[in-house]
Amino acid sequence: MGGRRGLIFSIEEFAVYDGPGIRTAVFFKGCPLRCNWCHNPEGLEGIQQILRSPNGCVKCGACYKEAEKNGGVLTKSCVDLCPRGLIRESGKYFEAEELAGIFLKNKDVFDRTGGGVTFSGGECLAQVDFLLEVTSTLKGKINIAIETSGYGDTRKFRELLKNIDLVYYDLKIIDRENFKKYTGGDISVVLKNFGALCESGAPFTVRVPLIPGVTDTAENLGAIADIVKDSGAEVEFMPYNKMAGGKYKLVGREYRPSFDTTREINYDLGAFIKNGVAYKIK
Amino acid sequence: MDNRVRIIYERLLSKEYKKLRRDTSYDFAKEYASVGLSAAKRSGDRLLRLAELERAILFPEDRIGMMRTIKKVPPLLTEKEYDEISADHFIFDGGIVFNIASDYGKTLSEGMEKKRAFISEKLEELSEGDEKRDFYKACLDSVDALYIIAEKYRAEAERSGNTELAQALKVVPKYEPKSYYQALVFLRLLNFTLWLNGNKHITLGRFDQYAYPYFERDIKSGAISYDEAFSLTQEFFISLNFDADLYPGVQQGDNGQSMVLGGVDKNGKSVFNDLSKLCLEASLELKIIDPKINIRVDKNTPDEVYLLGTELTKQGLGFPQYSNDDAVIPALVKWGYDIEDARNYVVAACWEFIIPGVAMDIVNIEALNFPKIVRDTVFSDLKKVKSFDELFERVRENIFVEAEKMVASTKNIYIQPSPFQSLLMTDRIEEGVDISEGAKYNNYGFHGAGLSTATDSLAAVKKCVFEEGSVSAEVLLNALESDFEGYAEVRNRLLKAPKMGNNDDYADGIAVKLLDCFADSLEGKKNDRGGIFRAGTGSAMYYIWSAENLGATPDGREKGSPFAANYSPSLGVKPSGVISVIKSFVKPDLKRVCNGGPLTLEFHDTVFKNDEGTGKVAALVKYFISAGGHQLQLNAVNRDKLLDAQKHPEKYPDLIVRVWGWSGYFNELDAAYQNHIIKRMEFSSQ
Repeated sequence: MGGRRGLIFSIEEFAVYDGPGIRTAVFFKGCPLRCNWCHNPEGLEGIQQILRSPNGCVKCGACYKEAEKNGGVLTKSCVDLCPRGLIRESGKYFEAEELAGIFLKNKDVFDRTGGGVTFSGGECLAQVDFLLEVTSTLKGKINIAIETSGYGDTRKFRELLKNIDLVYYDLKIIDRENFKKYTGGDISVVLKNFGALCESGAPFTVRVPLIPGVTDTAENLGAIADIVKDSGAEVEFMPYNKMAGGKYKLVGREYRPSFDTTREINYDLGAFIKNGVAYKIK
Repeated sequence: MDNRVRIIYERLLSKEYKKLRRDTSYDFAKEYASVGLSAAKRSGDRLLRLAELERAILFPEDRIGMMRTIKKVPPLLTEKEYDEISADHFIFDGGIVFNIASDYGKTLSEGMEKKRAFISEKLEELSEGDEKRDFYKACLDSVDALYIIAEKYRAEAERSGNTELAQALKVVPKYEPKSYYQALVFLRLLNFTLWLNGNKHITLGRFDQYAYPYFERDIKSGAISYDEAFSLTQEFFISLNFDADLYPGVQQGDNGQSMVLGGVDKNGKSVFNDLSKLCLEASLELKIIDPKINIRVDKNTPDEVYLLGTELTKQGLGFPQYSNDDAVIPALVKWGYDIEDARNYVVAACWEFIIPGVAMDIVNIEALNFPKIVRDTVFSDLKKVKSFDELFERVRENIFVEAEKMVASTKNIYIQPSPFQSLLMTDRIEEGVDISEGAKYNNYGFHGAGLSTATDSLAAVKKCVFEEGSVSAEVLLNALESDFEGYAEVRNRLLKAPKMGNNDDYADGIAVKLLDCFADSLEGKKNDRGGIFRAGTGSAMYYIWSAENLGATPDGREKGSPFAANYSPSLGVKPSGVISVIKSFVKPDLKRVCNGGPLTLEFHDTVFKNDEGTGKVAALVKYFISAGGHQLQLNAVNRDKLLDAQKHPEKYPDLIVRVWGWSGYFNELDAAYQNHIIKRMEFSSQ
């Protein structure tokens, strides 16, 4: 090990809703899934991207002129040309040591407030070797949480769990067909890793996005409750918010959910109550 | 709030009562000038006349009440006289006594009659022609003016069947209040009369301390219930807002009615009490501008205080503001304040630390314009110097030159006498000296405006010009001269240089040195009233005023763009995060620059959406205090700012909004989403 680099698109100090205490959340760039409701498209591609904010442009044309040299695609050299600073490069490579060093600088704050660092994404498991290296450096010094879709290599995931103090694990859709349809992935990977998580003994919380007509159906919620009930884990429901599409223009994409975003969310969580699963709606 | 308070609150919001004000304006100065009346006598006479002219108005639900019917307090001096005085004096902000703190504790516990008796005795003692006679005569007039107002309200209370208030006004202001209720009536009278006396930035000081004996006695004896005390306190708070639009200030709301809660007693023992808590809760529910709450905290302050404070922050009013006793008290002692006085400090209109009763400090008399000094030095010396250190040495010299100029410019000040305010100080009556002439402490405070802009400018010069060589001195000066027109690339390079607020010593180290230079430049200097000069981290209105005419700066700031308000990262800088900001801003030796001026942090209101978020903000405040910060102000971001951010995104690159379970930069959201958030905030602010 050593010398591995990771691609990060955001480091957010004082992430209030990503675990206990005062935490820094780190967003890994790149995700193997393509969830239909994804609110953070900046995290999807595991490459550096040049992003242009849609608002405040004075239409000076400087970036277009520069981009023409590259067949009309924005390049790094466009960044400095914008008089309003609206173009930026998303994704920065860090050495594991370097990234760990950033968190260690704030260890006093974390220790005083019961906080720590939360690795999120994108999908942090998509860069699991790098994540292993960073967390090995931090283990025992700083409280470490991860937020994951569980979509990654099981052997590596087991190894990683030895370094982790708290896991937020997504269970989105249990039905194989629907999971494929709405996320592009294979649910068996998620379920296998969920098994590994339960075996590991690491404390975890299950997170369920409540997407109208997709994840909030009685069957899906029932299936999730069924899987969670014996683990003793708590469930956090994350209701879909109509703001999900806010960042798509920035990455030059359009937000096109294939479900009815205006539909009311079904909050009937009877399946969880019945099975004695503790939950919170965030 | 109970039904009675709600009616009073709705009256305030409806503004209907303002129709009862009279349109008549008065001009006494001409008459005063024609008979050659002394300024002291004028002040006493004016208050007496205004008291006679005021009309008592009470509404059925009032237990305290009082509202102004005279809109404007006429000046003491004619324009001609004013010009004559200013020809050979320094006149600061209208030349009146303002922004100091009364000794409310002593005033309450003694009552005015004792003072009046002392004054009468003095007047009998002093021979005709003694120069102190004018002062005492003016003081006597001022007490009598207060009595006239009190009597008018007493008579009106009696007439309208408000026997409780009528009874209270038989006791106060002449004698010590017999109850918490009477103490509030007394305080309201004093507040009302100070404003009518033409003073401004009238602070309320340590209300939870001086009012506590009355509160405690009534609660312990069962004379009033907690709920009743709460209701009365809320009424008192609301009453401070009735006439706020008549109070002078740079902007409406800039009236200085600050209140300080918590802190320590003269022995250093923590005194946050039930009344402190009640005040926070009362303010929390009212969501009105006055009183502006400050909380004194230290490393031992319990979490509960921070949690209550954060609940108040959540309301989006921009207060409470926190000050750290562990930093402020030693700083004041170092400046020569007695330890007991230092422990009794309060916060002036904005942030400056002052001592009630015994200080005539002028804490915002001038401001050092850090960015201007840096910019001027860059223009005069950048091409000549060989290293960054040499450039910094020139900056240091220029700070000293500028400090010397400010010291010289504040000499020979003229301040109009203020006998009524003198009555409320600890010992001015006994000493026979008007407060305008000075008191135990006569220090001057200098703000330090635009520190982060200056720091970032120097960091950019160091990085781009001296280290990378990516921008030559020649190109930099041309770019600044042309306000970056045609120099977008240069500007972006400068913008990328290290900035203060990222917990990076590269920039922060420059800020540490700049503040040290500022403190050094005033070390040992005396003003001509026997006081010293206190350096500070505040900006007051100077962050706009000093910036308006200043050309582009090497940090990438364009001509005329404002500096950060107070002690905060530059506008337009996107720091790594709030923890880094705190760590950067506690690096300087703040005890040397403790005139007042908070680090300001802004949070989107959704950070406070549940107890988890509120608790974390409270923990962050506690961290700031434990890390040695001196003063902190938190904002829940408001709608107006978001609207401005839509129009001028470049001013707000760091504005983060929590959209739901995730965060995004406000600028990067589609307009439709921005509008949604703005609308949502409209709802949540109801």
